[in-house]
Amino acid sequence: MSRALKAVVPLFAALLAVTGLALGALMLGPLPTSPAALLAAAAGAGDSTAQLALSLRLPAVLTAVVVGAGLALAGATLQALFRNPLASPDLLGVSSGAAAGAALALLAGLAPWAMQGAAFLGGIASGTLTLAAAAAVRSGDPRLALILCGVVVGALAAALLGLALLAADPYTELPTLTWWLLGAFSRATLAEAVVALGLTSAAAAVLLTLGARLDALALGEDQARALGLPARTLRLLALATAALATSAVVSISGLVGWIGLLAPHAARLLVGETAARLLPMSALLGAAVALIVGQLARAFGPAEIPVGLLTALVGAPAFLALFISRAGRRP
Amino acid sequence: MSGLRADMRAHMRARGLVVGRGAFRLGPLELDLPPGRRLAVLGPNGAGKSTLLRTLAGLTPALDGTLSAPRPAALLPPPGEVEAAFPVRHMVALGRIGRSPFAPGPSRADLAAAEAALDRLGVADLADRPFDRLSSGQRQLVLIARTAAQGGALVLADEPTATLDPVHAARVAAALDALAGEGALVVIATHDLALAARQDAVLLLTDPPRTGPAGQILTPAALAALYGAPLAVCPGCGRPHG
Repeated sequence: MSRALKAVVPLFAALLAVTGLALGALMLGPLPTSPAALLAAAAGAGDSTAQLALSLRLPAVLTAVVVGAGLALAGATLQALFRNPLASPDLLGVSSGAAAGAALALLAGLAPWAMQGAAFLGGIASGTLTLAAAAAVRSGDPRLALILCGVVVGALAAALLGLALLAADPYTELPTLTWWLLGAFSRATLAEAVVALGLTSAAAAVLLTLGARLDALALGEDQARALGLPARTLRLLALATAALATSAVVSISGLVGWIGLLAPHAARLLVGETAARLLPMSALLGAAVALIVGQLARAFGPAEIPVGLLTALVGAPAFLALFISRAGRRP
Repeated sequence: MSGLRADMRAHMRARGLVVGRGAFRLGPLELDLPPGRRLAVLGPNGAGKSTLLRTLAGLTPALDGTLSAPRPAALLPPPGEVEAAFPVRHMVALGRIGRSPFAPGPSRADLAAAEAALDRLGVADLADRPFDRLSSGQRQLVLIARTAAQGGALVLADEPTATLDPVHAARVAAALDALAGEGALVVIATHDLALAARQDAVLLLTDPPRTGPAGQILTPAALAALYGAPLAVCPGCGRPHG
């Protein structure tokens, strides 16, 4: 019984922390409100200040939660499947593909919502291309094939993006593109964030149902097959699901690095390696980190700092510190 | 933990079995082993031991001939191949993951079976430790417990005692004996001649392959022919060597 309790307590604490951070992000700012006023506003009543704060801040807060959780889920899944602690959601070429999709839509003069749709489709397309190319490589280690195909597809998408950057109008289109490449939580509408939330929740449901099967897959394909699992099918399902989650969240935030790499590592220190605990903990920590970064981005004056820059500035040293302490713990 | 279910005990029969990978071929092999029997497979590096095990496990298709083998087959990888930080109890319970297609994790019954298997191998005290912090010998015993929890009717062990100290090698050998005692058919690919000598039968991957009772087939001459050079020592050979 105590073992089960020990497993639930950190998850519950993380859930409380995320809830607190989200409430704080909704309350703090130029129009301070109280939780009660926010609740009333959410129900359609309450004072106009609270209603305004809610309508202004809710999309950004929801975006931060969805993006942080989605990237961390995808990162945790890929780290398990690749048995490599450096695996991140960018590995399948999904982020680069999404960036290329967004850039092409922008150049084609499409509406902002269409740009996000194009980013999503670009991510899905490049993820599919990576998985298909890796499946066509029949010899050698399938994980290595995936990594190399991801690099190739990412490079192709980066070339497309480079072309788009050259062709973009420096006064109208380039700033939008630059924003997208540096990442932001404040650009998506509530409807877009809700769509991304739906897709990410579906991905989370699939991954949590895979559960211990992901653990078996992490032992290697032969081991998983010898344990009676259709290893190739399950691995493809998990990879495609991770690509779906990444595409969905990148399409509303632009490129945000490091959370997908860092959050699973921190989660692993707290709850261990088992997917059934690691996945939810990663998602919660990812959401918490994204909420903090989102607040920091608005903390220094009227102009928002791109969150992709902040996650790199905070994430890179944090990762190094985590890595050193982890290496010290496990000689 | 009880023994293997009676309906899962089965003969392994191979007729004209040819296994291989790429341009490599091994066979034809004739095998006929009743449940509870232990077979050692001896051969120099590159003779096809691992390929044979993978084929017997159903992971690689046979190139020719027929094979009927007990199922499920459980694969015991060589020491050091499996790395994971899962708690030992979870690692052993993963042996039962193939049983329930939609459950997200091991059930209470799976965890109980895992603990029983660990207990029977005398390593119940490891249940809460992370797998990757154990010694190679402890890891092998844990993976054998997983095989038992899986209910493998055919156990395929690939160099199970390689890199192990003598005490852990003996415990691993005894654990494999125990699996056979429960009715599993155990096939052990190894370079450990002492381990091979204590099995019921030995398969020498010469051309053509030879099978026979360990006491008869392990002779200095046969081993010299197998490895292409005379051996200075021949542990387990039926008579003094010189």
